[in-house]
Amino acid sequence: MRIYEELFIAKPDAPDEEVDAFIEQMKTSVSNAGGTVDKVEKWGKRKLAYKVDRYREGAYVLFQFSAGPETVKEFERRLRVSDLVIKFLTVRIDETLKRLDKRKKERDKRAHRKSIASPAAPPPSVAQQMMGEPASAPAMPGLPKEA
Amino acid sequence: MPEFKGRPGSAGQRPTGGDKAVATQKKAYFRRKKVCRFCVEKIDDINYKDMKLLHSFVAERGKIVPRRISGVCAPHQRRLTDAIKKARNIALLPFAAAF
Repeated sequence: MRIYEELFIAKPDAPDEEVDAFIEQMKTSVSNAGGTVDKVEKWGKRKLAYKVDRYREGAYVLFQFSAGPETVKEFERRLRVSDLVIKFLTVRIDETLKRLDKRKKERDKRAHRKSIASPAAPPPSVAQQMMGEPASAPAMPGLPKEA
Repeated sequence: MPEFKGRPGSAGQRPTGGDKAVATQKKAYFRRKKVCRFCVEKIDDINYKDMKLLHSFVAERGKIVPRRISGVCAPHQRRLTDAIKKARNIALLPFAAAF
């Protein structure tokens, strides 16, 4: 099972109900194939950065679902066939999410360690550097040192 | 956008940077030390949907701002390029901005 994000642009002149109906249709198609739809977001009409099929704006819809690769193929085929959709982008995000999770955990851990260790450990080392500095400073007169 | 300023000729001037300026030893001109924004602000997720963020790394004509200008570190620039290209694909960013 993989997590995918599907961002597609619907025609701006299509009625809202039609878009909603299409979204429902896609939802059922994903769940029928054994996947789960996690999130559907309608961004509303946005200006496009360039013309697509002579349209200057489009209604963005974001799908997030977890499913197998076969489901995505079918999903994309449906988007391609549909008259409503002018452009779409599929991004696999499960590995990205994993990476982000890991990063976040590392960050939290480090912050946690710091909050425990900081009152005791680092100050002496900084103090030592300060003590050592006056001796080495005259050797490099070209570098302005912070006081 | 940080730019290259302070040629050797304009040695005495100190264009930007305040306390972050670095003095090179021989030529006494100052340049603001560039730092990677993603490292400093601890932005892990460079997402193609984050238009606010991406816009600040795209030049006026829609080009990706090079690392040597923006100061972004290599790993982050890689992810940034990826995100910008995805955003272009779905018409969030232009391939080439028209004037």
